[in-house]
Amino acid sequence: MKKTAIAAILSLAATAVVAQAPQVKPEDHIKWRQSAYSVMGLHFGSLAAMAQDKKPYNKEEAIRDADFVALLATEPRNHFGEGTDKGRDTKAKPEIWQKRSDFDSKMDKMVSETGKLPQVARNGDLAALKAAVGETGKACKACHDEYRQK
Amino acid sequence: MARAPVLWDLPVRLFHWSLAALVVFSYITAKVGGTWMDWHLRSGYAILALLLFRVAWGAVGSSTARFSTFVRGPRIVLSYLRETSAGRRPDVVGHNPAGGWMVVLMIVALLVQAATGLFSDDEIATQGPLAVKVSNAAVSRMSTIHSWNEWVLVTFVVLHVVAIVVYHRVLRVNLVGPMLHGRGLPGIELAAPRNAGIAAVLFAIACGAVYWLVVVYPRSGAA
Repeated sequence: MKKTAIAAILSLAATAVVAQAPQVKPEDHIKWRQSAYSVMGLHFGSLAAMAQDKKPYNKEEAIRDADFVALLATEPRNHFGEGTDKGRDTKAKPEIWQKRSDFDSKMDKMVSETGKLPQVARNGDLAALKAAVGETGKACKACHDEYRQK
Repeated sequence: MARAPVLWDLPVRLFHWSLAALVVFSYITAKVGGTWMDWHLRSGYAILALLLFRVAWGAVGSSTARFSTFVRGPRIVLSYLRETSAGRRPDVVGHNPAGGWMVVLMIVALLVQAATGLFSDDEIATQGPLAVKVSNAAVSRMSTIHSWNEWVLVTFVVLHVVAIVVYHRVLRVNLVGPMLHGRGLPGIELAAPRNAGIAAVLFAIACGAVYWLVVVYPRSGAA
């Protein structure tokens, strides 16, 4: 009787410990991915302005912008899990979870294109930077056109 | 110098075909994106200048170009449609009452597109020259309208082309020829066209206005 009681109490205690593993609210996932994209937009916008001759090209600034874009690009992919379609205002379309492998492959493409920017910025060749910015923009657009509400 | 009467004066014809080409170009550049977005914006500025010109020409241009000539009330439009479908198509010089309203709708839809475009942001690397002058919430609303209005325009363009084909195949009226060479069917009474030089001046003013709006004003510190 006593052994059974102790076993029962220990089982309950074990359940309680497991149940307390940290939960992240969907609204926080949405907030973090939006924040990552937002600051990415700030730095990509800066690179794009240099690429479009709308502001003077500055190599150091371009390197900093490129580093930010490349690193931030790897954050949103962690925050599109199941259940993160609601909880906060979001432009994420339900198609993301319906066509998940296509969404993931477009996300990978974006990460891979942005990943090239830091080296291109360090090479200091503005023409190459313009081309890389153009290709990155296409990767952004490919995903937005299908998975982001207008 | 006596000017031969024309159905469509030179300014209207130049306007029409330039607009058609630019609208197609704007559509394609938006779909391709990337480095072509710069051309999308320039195309939009040109369209805006053309539209401003057309509105002015619609007030002071040749008779067939004037809105007062071809924009008619609902009773006349319905009567025209009734007579046409009964095989008794009334003689009309220039835009018929139904087509006349299509012209207005298209100009309005294109003005909406050009205007909202000035304030739009594609959230990749491109924003209109006036986006910086308004709140982010306003930019978002304008961008959404700009996106959805694309479908209105596509619908109008398709309807327009279908109508031209229907007129050609079913009603046996060639509408493309006159819009190219300006001459109407023989026997139609036409007034002499308005001096194209006036149109050139109006277009130059329209270009100046657009230049101010998209280049000068954004650079100024004014709100």
